[in-house]
Amino acid sequence: MRLTIEASLRRIGDLLRDDVAPDLKTPFLGQSVRMAGSMLNICANWVDDAAAIRVEENAKIRSVLGLPAASDTGFRISQLDAENHRLRLLLVEAHAAAEEAGDTARNAAIWALLEEIECARAQRE
Amino acid sequence: MNGLEAQTAAYLAHRMPAASAIVVDELARIYGGSSQETFRLRARWEENGAAIEKRLILRRDAPAGLVVAERDLEFNVYRALAGQGIPAPEAHFLELDPKWLGRPFFIMDLMPGKPGNPFGPDPYEGHDESVARQFWSVLGRLAALDHRKLGLTGLRNGEAESGFWRMELDRWEGILDAGEAVIEPIVRGGIRWLRRNPPAEPAKPAIVHGDYRSGNFLFTPDGRISAILDWEMCHIGDPLEDAAWAIDPFWPITRHLPLEAGLAEWQAASGMTADRKTLDWWRLFSAVKACAIWTTAEAALASGESHEMVVALSGVRAGHFHRKTILALLREFGELA
Repeated sequence: MRLTIEASLRRIGDLLRDDVAPDLKTPFLGQSVRMAGSMLNICANWVDDAAAIRVEENAKIRSVLGLPAASDTGFRISQLDAENHRLRLLLVEAHAAAEEAGDTARNAAIWALLEEIECARAQRE
Repeated sequence: MNGLEAQTAAYLAHRMPAASAIVVDELARIYGGSSQETFRLRARWEENGAAIEKRLILRRDAPAGLVVAERDLEFNVYRALAGQGIPAPEAHFLELDPKWLGRPFFIMDLMPGKPGNPFGPDPYEGHDESVARQFWSVLGRLAALDHRKLGLTGLRNGEAESGFWRMELDRWEGILDAGEAVIEPIVRGGIRWLRRNPPAEPAKPAIVHGDYRSGNFLFTPDGRISAILDWEMCHIGDPLEDAAWAIDPFWPITRHLPLEAGLAEWQAASGMTADRKTLDWWRLFSAVKACAIWTTAEAALASGESHEMVVALSGVRAGHFHRKTILALLREFGELA
């Protein structure tokens, strides 16, 4: 069995939250370390599908915007996020234009996509 | 005395020349406000032959926090509200010179009681209804105050008569513009709806706490609210802004008292009517404002300006919650199918 980034973060998070925090000498430090443990567990749950979520989201936004189904130019999270931000800016413009034009069908389609994106992006703990 | 205790004692000696034998001990950091570091401490000294002991709170600027707070704002508000029927600690000293404790700070009384945890199972230990009624009544009294007579025109929007909704929306949209690394189209859709559907103007400008919610006040074992805290985001505006923030589903005071009963308390204390359509506008505004605050938190962590874990968790957990809230409200208002 391979030790993944995800599993490593989770083990460190559990260690901080369950073993280190209770032994710290001030309540403030104990609470801080417990929260640090929770934060690492959230990060652990982000790792595995981080690229897949972004690639899928970028493809869906391109589709709604009617852009060519080009693939992302890089698969680092930072590269995918940069492209995601660019596409989201275009989506905001398209959404505002649909509202301005009274295009209820397009408005509804964009809101539906945004709800779908939000669900996919929900943090898992 | 440890380092910070000794530094605080030296500062008190500077501010209280009649005091001698000043000792500061039992200094401990506590959670309280996410924009400043909060410490409780005991100070003892002799003055005019008498031994004096006080439990105090030290609030020091954090390197970075959830919001950008003006340094003397909270201190000035505490001073102005003294004797106005708003439970609040007495504020003693404000120090802007960083030479004493490294950053600006102020010192105020430690008030009796404790904060309720809005995310816990029984935050007010069986005093839910009584605490919630006081909560609304205090908010009504705050809304009824004349900020000009209290010398609070220096607060944000302090000279304005109207247009608060636009000024506040512009402010928080600006904070989003500055802090969002990846734009959130749901939040931007919420902002556009708010601009298309402006609320009615308030009956008069009011002091808005800015973070008036479950968890930001102290209550005593007999169920009395002893202090409203965390005034860092205080400004002048529409009093329903605070009412909407208080019922936000992240920390809803309506968990302890139905909204109608709470608003009745507020109306009786403020002498104003709570227009429900206007309240709805501020509910959506609250979710947008919350998203802006979480964006700031995320940016502070990402840049390394903040190491606070409460800020970190706020940044990652609460943003999603409030974007879902925006969607739910827009559905309630008929914008979404």
